[in-house]
Amino acid sequence: MSEALVDALNPALFWEYRQVLLRGLAFNAYVFFSAATVALIVGLAAALLRVNRAWPFRWIGTLHVEVFRNAPDYIMVIWVHFVLPLLLGKLIGQRVEFSPFASAVIALGFVYSGYFAETFRAGIQSIPQGHLDAGRACGMAESTILWRIILPQVVRRMLPEAVNQFVSLFKATTIVSLIAVPDLMYQVSMVTQQEMRPLPLYTGAAVTYFAVIYVVAGSVRGLSERWRNKIYA
Amino acid sequence: MDAIPAIRVVDLRKNFGALEVLRGVSFDVHRGSVVSMIGASGSGKSTLLRCINRLETPSAGEVFIDGEPMGGPVTANGERKERPLSDINRMRRDLGMVFQQFNLWPHMTVIGNVIEAPLRVRRMKRKAAIALAEECLARVHLSEKGTEYPARLSGGQMQRVAIARALAMQPKAMLFDEPTSSLDPELTDEVLTVMRELAADGTTMIVVTHEMAFARDASDRVLFLHNGQIEEEGPPDQVFGAPKSERCRQFLSKKLQ
Amino acid sequence: MSNWERLVWNQRGLLWQGLAVTIEVCAIAFAMAIVGGLLLCLVRMHVRPLRPVAIALIEFFRATPIFVQLMWVNYVWPELFGWPNTFFTAGWVALGLQSSGYLAETFRAGIEAVPRGHREAGYSVGMSPFQVYRRIVLPEMLLTVAPSIVNQFTVIVKSSTLVSVITVPDLMLQAMKLVNIWYEPIEVLTATAAIYIGFVFLVSTAGKALADYQRRRFGLNAA
Repeated sequence: MSEALVDALNPALFWEYRQVLLRGLAFNAYVFFSAATVALIVGLAAALLRVNRAWPFRWIGTLHVEVFRNAPDYIMVIWVHFVLPLLLGKLIGQRVEFSPFASAVIALGFVYSGYFAETFRAGIQSIPQGHLDAGRACGMAESTILWRIILPQVVRRMLPEAVNQFVSLFKATTIVSLIAVPDLMYQVSMVTQQEMRPLPLYTGAAVTYFAVIYVVAGSVRGLSERWRNKIYA
Repeated sequence: MDAIPAIRVVDLRKNFGALEVLRGVSFDVHRGSVVSMIGASGSGKSTLLRCINRLETPSAGEVFIDGEPMGGPVTANGERKERPLSDINRMRRDLGMVFQQFNLWPHMTVIGNVIEAPLRVRRMKRKAAIALAEECLARVHLSEKGTEYPARLSGGQMQRVAIARALAMQPKAMLFDEPTSSLDPELTDEVLTVMRELAADGTTMIVVTHEMAFARDASDRVLFLHNGQIEEEGPPDQVFGAPKSERCRQFLSKKLQ
Repeated sequence: MSNWERLVWNQRGLLWQGLAVTIEVCAIAFAMAIVGGLLLCLVRMHVRPLRPVAIALIEFFRATPIFVQLMWVNYVWPELFGWPNTFFTAGWVALGLQSSGYLAETFRAGIEAVPRGHREAGYSVGMSPFQVYRRIVLPEMLLTVAPSIVNQFTVIVKSSTLVSVITVPDLMLQAMKLVNIWYEPIEVLTATAAIYIGFVFLVSTAGKALADYQRRRFGLNAA
């Protein structure tokens, strides 16, 4: 055990593969930002459907949320990668293929859009009707009210919840290695196969992810608190 | 007095389902005059005000702003076609509204609240909007608070900012919906003072209020609403001094105790 | 729809076995998470010398991706501790670890939400601190956080798909096996996804019903 520990603390291994590993981590970030963009846009659209006055829209929005919020990330990634191209192919009568990266972004983006839709909806519904009336009384168009009065407040209100969801999304990016997106976990398993030393490599990966999430999420939380305090004193 | 009133309300009715909140209300507000609306809660005062700038759509009747009807044309089979929202928005610009709950936008500074509509609705240049906003804030005696967020203001200050926000649209008339009702008693005076100054400057105003002193001293006409109808109407001396309606007399004696 | 019959309905035995393994893994992990979470929470709140250790563990479990933890437990722990010795055990240990971190924080919030007056009422009728904890604080806390606990179970179910990666024969693995036999993924994977979504939906709906019931019965706010 002590030998194993010494082995684990030996930095030479990480130094040797530093470029591969860092590139892997960058891939996690890349998948994260792309999927987060998809999740925010689709989530906002679904939330606007859910607060719509017409029931068919509300129904579609609810279905979207219930499907994606209850779906495991992993099966969605697999489904989008292996099934969706076949279905699309049948639809347009042509061979369709998604790159692993595209599948990962679509799958994670849609899964997390379900969570973001709920957060957006709660935020939208927490805004007093009077704020909207005040805008209308000044003659503002509904789109101006949405972009200038509703959404800026929604963003501030949903921030703490959204940070948690961003953390979950970042953590979920580690599973994209399973469809061969070359992220950190993928590189770690590749190096492990070469070196046959899972202990330092997987421990290193765990510590790295922990450090990144802990530090980044912590500082984002701190910043967002300071920003929110200006308004909700 | 000029021929076309600033606001003319004709036989306005509003139902919420089976509930008749307004049962045919008609009155004129002439330019530069102040009309106070009094009455028990539930008498339809606030709904009437909200129907005037179409935050509520009236069930029947018409509101004219400077002679222009707010509702759409009536079709051959007697149904009213609503005007497009862009039309209503254009007419709303001319009616400033002050709410009981202030409804300041908490994510914008005081000056941000005041310039928002001039920028986005009137499409003013930022510089001009800020100059205008500073002028409006001076009228409500809050020049020094421009960079604060609403959360840092007292209720009375928030309501004065809300007045400045409405003034910044340079409206033809101002609608006040119980502007002091959610304020602590010691904060109502600063708001009423500002409103008296506006009235003295010749601002056209409709004020829904429970402040009988304001209705008596500052307004040109007083309407007493009961059950969605105008029960008593006249100059303040008459309504307060010699009300014809028994209900109005009861209401006033309770209020003026 | 013969494809559905051939690929899904006729394979229902396998899928069913897989679902049973999924439920088994999740149930054990859930039990571990509740016990572990309560332990971590109590140590964090009341055992001063071990507090930093508890905080470090909670934060580590919470801020590390489940997939990474699974790999870590599966490949590293046997070398470090000589345990777990099966993939199945590694699967539930990893799932349980992550959730115990989350539940520890949920429990703490629940305990802190118990009004001080309720404890004082217990002391004032002569209960010992242990009795107050057992009879008043913990039951009250469990009531308020019950919906969050149910929610945590849905998280475990969703994460459990990953144990197929270390060859635990759960629903996900059985589905992937079927895909690899015929190379016809559409029906099998769609059905599997639907089963997972339906299962998680049922559990979370039950959780919401539980929350509503408690709000009505005890006038509590959902935690």
